[in-house]
Amino acid sequence: MSKKFINPLEATEIVKNSIKKRRAKDNRLRLYGRIAIGMATCFLLFLFFSIFTKGYPGFFQYYVTLDIKFDRERIDPKGDLSDTSLYEGEASNIVNESLFSIINPQGRKAKKEARKIVSSGKDLRIAKLVKNDPSLFGTVTKVKFALDDDIDSFLRGYINRDTPESERRISDNVIAFVDKLSEENRISYEFSDYILKGSASGNPEMAGIKGAFFGSILTLSVCLLIAFPLGAATAVYLEEIAKKNKITEIIEVNINNLAAVPSVVFGIMGLAIFISIFGMPRSIPLVGGMVLALMTLPTIIISSRAAIRAVPPSVRDAAYGIGASKLQVIFHHVIPLAMPGMLTGTIIGMAQALGETAPLLMIGMVAFIVDVPNSVMDPGTVLPVQIFMWADFAERMFIQKTSAAIIILLGFLITMNAFAIYLRKKLERRW
Amino acid sequence: MSDKEKDFKSLDLTVGDVFSKEARLKARNVNVYYGDKKAIDNVTIDIGNKEVISFIGPSGCGKSTFLRCFNRMNDTIDICRIEGQITLDNDNIYDSNIDVVPLRARIGMVFQKPNPFPKSIYDNVAYGPRIHGLCENKEHLDSVVEESLKRAGLWDEVNDRLLSPGTGLSGGQQQRLCIARAIAVSPEVILMDEPCSALDPIATAKIEELIHELGNEYSIVIVTHSMQQAARVSKRTAYFHLGKLIEVGKTKEIFTRPQHNQTEAYISGKIG
Amino acid sequence: MFNFYLLVVILLISFLFFFIGLKEAKKLRLVYKNNLHSLPHYYGFYALLASLLPSLGIYFLMTIGDDFLFSHMIKSYIPDEVTNAKDYNFLIALAQINNSVEGLIFGTPPQWVTDAAELWKSWVQTSNIIVASLCLLSSIASGYYGFLKINQNFRSRNAVEKIIMTLLATSSVIAIFTTIAIIFSVVFESVRFFALIPIDEFLFGTVWNPQFEGAERAGSGQQGLSQYGSIPLFAGTFLISFIALCVSVPVGLFSAIYLSEYASSKERAFFKPLLEILAGVPTVVYGFFAALTVAPFLRSSGSIFGLNVASESALAAGLVMGIMIIPFISSLSDDVINAVPQSLRDAGYGLGSTKNETVLKIVLPAALPGVVASIILAVSRAVGETMIVVMAAGLAANLTANPLEAVTTVTSQIVTILVGDQEFESAKTLSAFALALTLIIITLCMNFYALHIVKKYREQYE
Repeated sequence: MSKKFINPLEATEIVKNSIKKRRAKDNRLRLYGRIAIGMATCFLLFLFFSIFTKGYPGFFQYYVTLDIKFDRERIDPKGDLSDTSLYEGEASNIVNESLFSIINPQGRKAKKEARKIVSSGKDLRIAKLVKNDPSLFGTVTKVKFALDDDIDSFLRGYINRDTPESERRISDNVIAFVDKLSEENRISYEFSDYILKGSASGNPEMAGIKGAFFGSILTLSVCLLIAFPLGAATAVYLEEIAKKNKITEIIEVNINNLAAVPSVVFGIMGLAIFISIFGMPRSIPLVGGMVLALMTLPTIIISSRAAIRAVPPSVRDAAYGIGASKLQVIFHHVIPLAMPGMLTGTIIGMAQALGETAPLLMIGMVAFIVDVPNSVMDPGTVLPVQIFMWADFAERMFIQKTSAAIIILLGFLITMNAFAIYLRKKLERRW
Repeated sequence: MSDKEKDFKSLDLTVGDVFSKEARLKARNVNVYYGDKKAIDNVTIDIGNKEVISFIGPSGCGKSTFLRCFNRMNDTIDICRIEGQITLDNDNIYDSNIDVVPLRARIGMVFQKPNPFPKSIYDNVAYGPRIHGLCENKEHLDSVVEESLKRAGLWDEVNDRLLSPGTGLSGGQQQRLCIARAIAVSPEVILMDEPCSALDPIATAKIEELIHELGNEYSIVIVTHSMQQAARVSKRTAYFHLGKLIEVGKTKEIFTRPQHNQTEAYISGKIG
Repeated sequence: MFNFYLLVVILLISFLFFFIGLKEAKKLRLVYKNNLHSLPHYYGFYALLASLLPSLGIYFLMTIGDDFLFSHMIKSYIPDEVTNAKDYNFLIALAQINNSVEGLIFGTPPQWVTDAAELWKSWVQTSNIIVASLCLLSSIASGYYGFLKINQNFRSRNAVEKIIMTLLATSSVIAIFTTIAIIFSVVFESVRFFALIPIDEFLFGTVWNPQFEGAERAGSGQQGLSQYGSIPLFAGTFLISFIALCVSVPVGLFSAIYLSEYASSKERAFFKPLLEILAGVPTVVYGFFAALTVAPFLRSSGSIFGLNVASESALAAGLVMGIMIIPFISSLSDDVINAVPQSLRDAGYGLGSTKNETVLKIVLPAALPGVVASIILAVSRAVGETMIVVMAAGLAANLTANPLEAVTTVTSQIVTILVGDQEFESAKTLSAFALALTLIIITLCMNFYALHIVKKYREQYE
């Protein structure tokens, strides 16, 4: 044994002495790991908590109940319940009269303020009621109306009656009126039927996601109808049919690149090619769906290829052995076995597409559109873009409704992803 | 079998000389379970000082499992459970206040497939001394690396390229590098789990020669599939079958005059 | 444009041919006593495809092409005094005509517009008739041709399969088509931009202040109007990405180490999906969170410490983006760490390493290329991210390294410029394409580099 080499007994001593420090380092690393995971979990919880607490009130609104005299000549002068007739009618005045009879505003200023208490959608509400049920004419019925968003904020406590009047959004008069209404038990806090049934509106109390929701459905349908067949066909071709040569390599590199391109760029491409060159109209779900389809294609292709690759060669060998042709092997054996994986990949791709905003902004699905789109050629918007638009508005109620819309969006995403995971577990095969 | 050790309980008695004078490692009534399955059944054996002992037996008889008990490598496997006693110089290594790190510095291991780190040859060998803090300065470390490589018979071949990656060596050289790496922390016992099974005959021959030499410095326990290898490198041989230790004895005698009929069946090729 | 009924008719005709072909094949089978090459339905398919594909091709070509054609043809019908006018723009004129065609008439448009619109409408009618008759004709003719091919020797299955394989190959070419489309659209407009603004001003200028000026060239400071130096934008992008990395790399990496080396399988099964959820949240939600929760919080806590935090600080956007990126790093790093072979860890433990020594000195160095690649990919994602910065970071191009100030990024400028009214001729609009081009180049380079690192170092321990 060379003198320079370490004596085993010495070595043991040295090691024994160093153990404590080394164990401490080990525990530190474990601790850092735990802290890191803890932080990530906290971020997630905080995010959801913040959205949920802001959004939950967004599903509710304050309403006022008024006794409405359904006077036919005043509401429907032409007598035919047509939109022009109702437009010429005085439904708003009737509502205000009923309101004034309770709160009794004195003077021009007070009356002006009082007219703003009930949401400006009151005439639309009356119109809807009489169209559905003309027997209301000639009766005096109680009707619930949404309150203007400033009143709503006041009732929730965001506007304090103790702040000086000049710094408040609603005046002392209005507060007095509202107090009178609550004394008579006419004010109620209920599930808002606007958030789901209303469309885009400048008035937060009337705003809802109906238009955006249908826009999303239409856009995603177009996306799915284009992306799934194309993606599946490409995956099948690349995995089963194409020979491994330069061209297929180029195609593969292209697909991987596309997966890495920022989503904005797809929007720009849609703008430049579909809208400028092909001349398609802006802001329609068809173009949105096409842009999203091209964006989702790489995801679907890559996951479908993985699913096809997972089918063991023995299945193919067996099929070839009985004399099946290449396409018969593919369509009768490989694809059915790979289908679960392809479907899960597609669902996940669709979930990603549902949440995409930037590319759709580029092709113009960001206009203020009140009507619900009926077909893929009608202008519309999608849920995430609606959220984006509302986020700019400063009214408190918009913040709540935006958060409520986010809750709805997240709900869909969770459902889709859960469904994908369920499918994967259910149809998983152990080769 | 000696009558001296009265605490020796067994139904199936192992034939031959399980005990040795100056034993470093002692295993007493060791049972190893993988979940519910029993892999090692009531094995008692001594590993002597500076001797080379082979564990032989058919595939799946538990030799590697038993080997890994000595340096507690089975700890990394969750479902593995050990009963019984294993002592190194009279300290039970499975005691709860024994830290496994110094134990593994005293009992080194060479694996079946050579597994050098993707680092330079120097760093491979220097890894152990570095983490245990065995060397005071760079010169000391350099000399330890040199000595380890010399003892592993690799120095002449690599001394001009110590900084090149260890993975760039041939299979046999990589295994010798792993041996050098194990030697560098000055172990007292070296466990080898079929060290030559992944190597070609020439590399194998070199390593067998090396083991023979190393037996003068270290206690070596070598698990091997090949009876011829056991015959070539070890003084003592232990024959395992289905988790039981059947016979232990001098290698020459096991192979020429085995006492247990199962041993005889294995040696003559009737089983295994 | 889309004549739905025509498509339905074409489809029905092809189905008709399917049945005709099927019947004929069955007949042949009886005659030749089952000596036919393929099953009867393949002959049917062949006839169907023969009828369907050519007429579909004609249909799509003509419906897409006729707009181009008409735009070209209408040019000669715009009176000279209009084309010679100072502010004449063909695209605007075209738009006017199109509006009139679709019946969107506001007030009284000039006579030439109405005339041109009438002409256009008549062309559309003619073209509809032409397209319809051509398609019907071809579907019947080619279907008949397909039918004629059916005889005893015809190997229809092979023919059908060849056609299907061609269709599959075509769909994979669509992927290339997309790339070409992206490159084309962006490069083309960028070139037009660089014809107006010199490249070095764009790449190296430090003031970004574009204005709309119509078709005139924007001055680069000389005429005192617009300036197109993109450095503040890239500085903003990288500042925010850097802040994001400061959050995501430590959290992601340590999480990955813990989950792959220290965590029990129960912990791993619970926390790994949890981290993935962070990646599934839409970016607009993150943007909202950043703008309405994080930014005000930073602003008010900043004032407690006497710091002036802007309401649209880079810090707010960067922090939230960091949260979004955590799964990119943790997931990919986790995969590469797990890919390190167990034999290396065994060697480390066998020598008496503690767990952290094995991880930090053996496993991580072996996994390092993959970890670095995952960081690069995360950066590329951060650079291309749009919604968070649009909603939470500012719009003012501000060249600074101070995270408490408001900065703007390349992506938010692209969005701001292209959302809303735009004229394709102005330098401001074109600048968005130039920005997009640089964005694409940077992200693609980063991705290539990440792949390259993985490939190069993978050989080391194979």
